[in-house]
Formats: sequence, structure tokens, C-alpha cells
Amino acid sequence: MTEAERKVGVFICHCGGNISDVVDVNALREFASKQGGVVAATDFRFMCSNEGQAKLQKTIQEKGLEGVVVACCTPKMYEDMFRETAKEAGMNPYLLEIANVREQCAYPHRAEPGKATEKAKELVSAQVAKVLRLRPLDVKTAPIHEGVAVIGAGIAGIHAAILLGNAGHHVTLIEKSPTIGGNMARFDKTFPTLDCAMCTLSPKMNQVFNHPNVDLLTYAEVKDAVRTPGKFTITVEKKPRFVTDACIGCNRCTEACPVSGPKSPLKVESEWNMGLNLRKAIYLPFSQALPQLWTIDAEHCYYFQRNRTCGICAKVCPANAVDFTMKPEHLQLEVGAVLVATGYQPFEAGRVAQYGYGKYADVYHGLQIERLLSSTGPTEGKLVKKDGTPPKSVGIIHCVGSRDENYRSYCSRVCCMYSLKYAHLIRERTGARVYNFYMDMRANGKGYEEFYQKVASEQVGFVRGKPARVTDVAEAPEEEGKLIVVVEDTLAGAMLRVPVDMVVLSTAMDPGDVDGLLASLHLDKTADGFVKEYHLKINPTETAVKGVFVAGCAQGPKDITDTIAQAGAAAMSASIFLGSGEMTLNPLVAEVNPDLCRACDRCTDVCEFDAVHVDPESLRAVVDETACEGCGKCTVVCPTGAIMVRQFTKPQIVASIDALAPKAVAQ
Amino acid sequence: MTDEPDILALCCNWCGYNAADQAGAAKIPYPSGVKILRLMCTGMVDPYYILRGFERGFDGVLVVGCHPGSCHYKSGNLQAREQTDRLMGVLRTLGIGPERLRMDAASSSEGPRFAETVTEFSETLKKLGPSPLREVA
Repeated sequence: MTEAERKVGVFICHCGGNISDVVDVNALREFASKQGGVVAATDFRFMCSNEGQAKLQKTIQEKGLEGVVVACCTPKMYEDMFRETAKEAGMNPYLLEIANVREQCAYPHRAEPGKATEKAKELVSAQVAKVLRLRPLDVKTAPIHEGVAVIGAGIAGIHAAILLGNAGHHVTLIEKSPTIGGNMARFDKTFPTLDCAMCTLSPKMNQVFNHPNVDLLTYAEVKDAVRTPGKFTITVEKKPRFVTDACIGCNRCTEACPVSGPKSPLKVESEWNMGLNLRKAIYLPFSQALPQLWTIDAEHCYYFQRNRTCGICAKVCPANAVDFTMKPEHLQLEVGAVLVATGYQPFEAGRVAQYGYGKYADVYHGLQIERLLSSTGPTEGKLVKKDGTPPKSVGIIHCVGSRDENYRSYCSRVCCMYSLKYAHLIRERTGARVYNFYMDMRANGKGYEEFYQKVASEQVGFVRGKPARVTDVAEAPEEEGKLIVVVEDTLAGAMLRVPVDMVVLSTAMDPGDVDGLLASLHLDKTADGFVKEYHLKINPTETAVKGVFVAGCAQGPKDITDTIAQAGAAAMSASIFLGSGEMTLNPLVAEVNPDLCRACDRCTDVCEFDAVHVDPESLRAVVDETACEGCGKCTVVCPTGAIMVRQFTKPQIVASIDALAPKAVAQ
Repeated sequence: MTDEPDILALCCNWCGYNAADQAGAAKIPYPSGVKILRLMCTGMVDPYYILRGFERGFDGVLVVGCHPGSCHYKSGNLQAREQTDRLMGVLRTLGIGPERLRMDAASSSEGPRFAETVTEFSETLKKLGPSPLREVA
């Protein structure tokens, strides 16, 4: 269709006076009716009302309109709705454009109605010029593949996997460590209720482990993800455990393993207990680990590291479950949606050197204290110093790494509360004096302020101030043999030296080590390093990549309550997406005119989305419409004008510029 | 230019255009000579559009995208910055003057900033007088 043939209708909305009190809608209608191609121009009190839309549809059908301009509020409000309305009336929806005469004329220029009206005319003529040059577009859809991959089996991933499984979706839950449970499984108690963490987590671990709709892949890592319309193909590497499913969990291998023994040169710290004790090379991370399968850590095993000189685990195994020949397996999963729940890791406490972590034996970080307090930890729940004696006094330093422009500028949101929890538990179990060194007390959750008040009434000391350093250099007899926290009490306006037996560093939450995963899923990070959500406020569970959802601390620091809530919301979003059956592909993406393309590769150089490639056969650029976001960077660097973004082609944009140009010279 | 300069404002869909909407919704007045054209990203701003604007009599051209680091498409705003920087020299050679082209960033919530930017730009252009191309066009 040539532009002269297209019949265009212009619909001017009064917006109940918001527009018509400023813009002379009669003059605007008269002007619009005289524009080339315009066969109908009308105005109405509320175009967005049912009546207004009926009028739009009726006119489209009666006049046989092939293009529409609605002069109303910003396209961000009702463009989609008007396009849908036009589509129902039989018109191609992509031939409808909005002239934004409310936000751009009536509102900012309401003191100058004459100028507002003149500008409205230009905006309408620019959109008419554009509509005359638009091409009808087909919306393509792609069926959404069944199934969802949940990456990370901490509390967020476990909860989401259970819900998605309950909703009837086939779930693959992928966990990189040998057991599910995540950081929550390390906790002793949870604030503010002081519930036993494993008592609430363990049933969920069992539920997901036994769920008929959930496949569990543990000790497995996502290596790559390829997105095609409606489908993600995910490559997962299953690391070899060197122990088969025949394992009966008798623990004889661990007892026999020589690694980490008193005379053994090979020693390995327990990741589970945050390096507080040693573990064997063949091990189960903790007694409630799921699956109950032992794992050999080949990097610390005599069989692998000392030329097969060992193998005692295989000899003592009554089930013949040890298999040193296991190799990494690569699996390919095809799913329609991905839910990222990769959690957090504790900030490296040693980076804040002035607090002496790694230098002084009795300086610990938060997760280590969880393990020391836990009955499944290295001391079976007895809080003791490295020398085995209980501390008489403990200093808890808040905001280590958090709210510090040298490290992490964000608040980690849980540290105040877990610090209070430690204060309570330490006092309860050891009777030690406990000091909290805090900047601000943030107790903003249900029951949290009450918990703070409760702990404050338990003779726990609170010093408002960020400690300068922790030192063992005594300046007074009572400081001998102690760790001294040097701090300014900003409420009292005094410098203090507080001698304690043990120091706890309430470290920040850091994002997990997941850059490779995010890159393969084309996910962005926010400035703090966590996964970027679609919209921080109104859409915190989706991402800019359709079909990829995020939950838990992968998206930002949060407590268990918020993690559960977000995991539920993300599961719901993923379920709705999968249940919709098909996804629409954005038609406003780049397109190549093969006659003009010279295969120079400049478009591929600037593309951030890996969405355009030169086909080696035809030597022409080819756009992957599912990956292209339609930004148009390529259109600027293309030397021949071969690549264009639909509805934003050069002739369309130039026609709009000409229509907006000062009339004295433009005509 | 009758009493106020004509400005072509090429705004990205995600930041510049929304900032202009915010300015409007808050009823912050700014000169009516500002004509906004919505593009998906400033990354699609071809130097030709800017030259076309001047050729057609605009006194100034403003490109408004997202702040560096927050481009909806990662780096379109950076490409636009490159393109506009390069064009400055061309505008000087052509006698139009680089001060008639400006690139700015405004996040989608920065309505007041958008209004301030266009008002200040309009004042600057007023002092410069009409574009020299108006006479030849």
C-alpha cells in the first residue's frame, strides 16, 4: 500500500477538560481533517471510555480506516489498549499511534493555550505522517516449552520448586553443592521467633526431595543456556561424586578416610562449618543432608592426588558404592522458564583488616557463629573460644562490609536482627556479657522491633558507633589477654576501649558467584551486584528476559520471611507464564534488507544481545528476532541502511521530524 | 523562531520520554518550542536525524537518554554520546555551531530535571539567535 492510499482517522480526546480546557480541540480537529490521508477527524470527551472505544471501532469499520492517530494522554497509558481496540475492529494494531497532547501540550503549556494548540497540531501531523509510512506488522507467537528449571536449592529455590510442582509443572531443581538446603540449613535459630531453623527447613527439604513433579540435580552446575523462542536449552554439568546410589549411608568410609587425620599432610576445612573444623575427603556435609549420598572431594583425596596410593574407602564400603572411574556428565534440559534462586555468600570478613579476622583466633564472622551455636556444628552447640573455654564477654560488630562505601554501600537488611539473635543466644547459653556495636538499629519487620526490645531488656550492652579497630595490644591490666574493641560511643561522645574474649563480625550479604550463569541467561545486575529485576518496585520477580524469574537473595539481601514471599510470587509468575502456552514476540525489532547488506559485520559488533549474525552461506546479516530488543544501535552503524527497526525506519522518523519542524521553513 | 527557539528533542522511550511525561504530569512549565520525538533508544539516533532537524529549521537539537550505566539496552546511550560528540565538530564546520546540539540524561523520574534542561537550553539558544540555516532554508 502506498502512503497516498492509506485512509487515516484522527481521534481527539478532551480528557474531561484536561486537554480541552487548554487546547482548542475544534481548531485541532479542523486542522487534522485537512491533513493528507485523513478521512475522518473527530473529538470526544473521553476516548478511553467504553463509549470512546466503541466510537473508534465504529469509525474504523464505517470509514474503512487503515491507520489511526489518537490525540490524548501519553502512549504509556493507553497505547496498548487502543491498539487492542483497533485490532478487534479489524485494523492492524501497529498502524495506530498516539499524539501525546496532554503531557506534552495541555499540561506544560497551559498558561499559553494558543501555543499549546499550535504544538498539538504539529504533534498530530507528525503522527499522521508516521502512520502513513508504517507497515502493518504481524505478531508472531512461539509455543512455550513445558517445564521449569529452578537454579539454586536454598530456601528460595526449594519453596518455589514445591509450589511449581504443586501447580503441576515439571520442575528441575539444580543445586551446585552436594546437598540441598542452602545457607538456611547452617542456621541454628531464626529471628524473631527463635524457631529451630532445621525444624522448619527440613520438612521442606524432604517435601521437595520426594515431590513427584520435581527432579533434583545436586552437585550439578549450569554451564550454558541458549534461548530460542519459548524455550531455554540448559546444559548442566553433573560433577562426579565417585559414590553411586548404592551408598547406604553407614559412614564407614568417612571413619576410615585418612585425610585431615592428625598425621595427614592432606587436610581440608569443612565448607559446611565455615572452616571451623576439618572434614574428610569422603564426606556427607551434615547429618540431614539430602540426598543422603556421600561425596569424594577429588582435590583432597589420596587416591586422586597421590597416584592411587589409597582407596581405603572402597575397601571398607559394604555396598560397593565407591567408584573412582566416575566422570562429569553433561545433561541438556529443555524448559520453558527459568527461576534464578542462587542466594548469597557472606562478605569476606578479612577484607576489613582493622577488625582482625584471620589475625586473631577469636574473631569470627556471622555464619561461623551460627555453626558454633548449632547442635550439629563443630562444638555441638557449645559456644567456646579456640582454646575450648567459654567466653566471658563477646563484642558483636554490626555493618561489617555493609553501609560502607569502601565495600558495599547497601544495607544487608538482616544483620541487625541476626546480631540481636546472637546476643540473646550467647547470653542465654553462656551468661557472657554481650556488647552490640551498631550504627543504626534496623528492626523493620513483623515482630522485629519487639524482638529488639526483648533483647535490650536482657542486660545486653548497646554502643552506638562504628568501631575503629580490634586490637590485642593492652593498655591497661584489665585488657591483658583480651581483644579490645576501640570505638567512639557517638551517643555519649566518648572514646571507649571495650575488652572482650570473642568478637563477632556481622558481615554483609554478597551476591553469589554467578556471573557466568547471568551472562548465559542474558541477565543484568544492578549496581550492587545482585540480579536486576524487571522493576524494583512493581515487578521484583520477573527479569528483562521473558521467561526468567528471580527470587530470594539472588535479587538482593533479604530475610527468610521475605525470601519465602518472593519465591512464592516468582513461582506464581512463572506458573502463569508457563500456563499461558505461548509467548508473543515483540515485532518492533530489527530487520535486514538482504539486497543492501554487504556483510560488513558492523551490526554484529555493536549488538549487545548477540541478536544479529552474518550467515556464512548467504553472506547476509540475519536477525534473531527472539534475541533482538529493538534498540536500533545497528541501524546507525550500518553503512548501507540495510538494517532497520520496524516502525522506526529512517523514512518514518524523517517524516516525523519534517512534520515537527518550524512551518515557515519546512514547507 | 518567532519568540522562542524551536527545539527537536529526541527522547528515548525509557528515560527521556518518561521524564518529559513526568514534567508534564507535574505541570512544570517549559517552552512550547520543545518538540519531542519518541525513539526506542538514543542508540538509534542517526546523526542524519540531527542534521535533518537543522536543515528543516530547528534552532537546536537535544538528545535525552538514560544515565550512563542505566540504558535499557545496556549501551545505546553511550553510542549516542559518541555520535553526538563526533557531530559537534561537523556542526562547527558547517557554521551551525556545536552549542546548538546537546545530549543529556534524565531518568524516568526526573521530570524537573527535564524541564530545567530544556528551559536552560532554550534560553541559551535565544541568546544565540535563530539558526543560521533558517535563512537559507
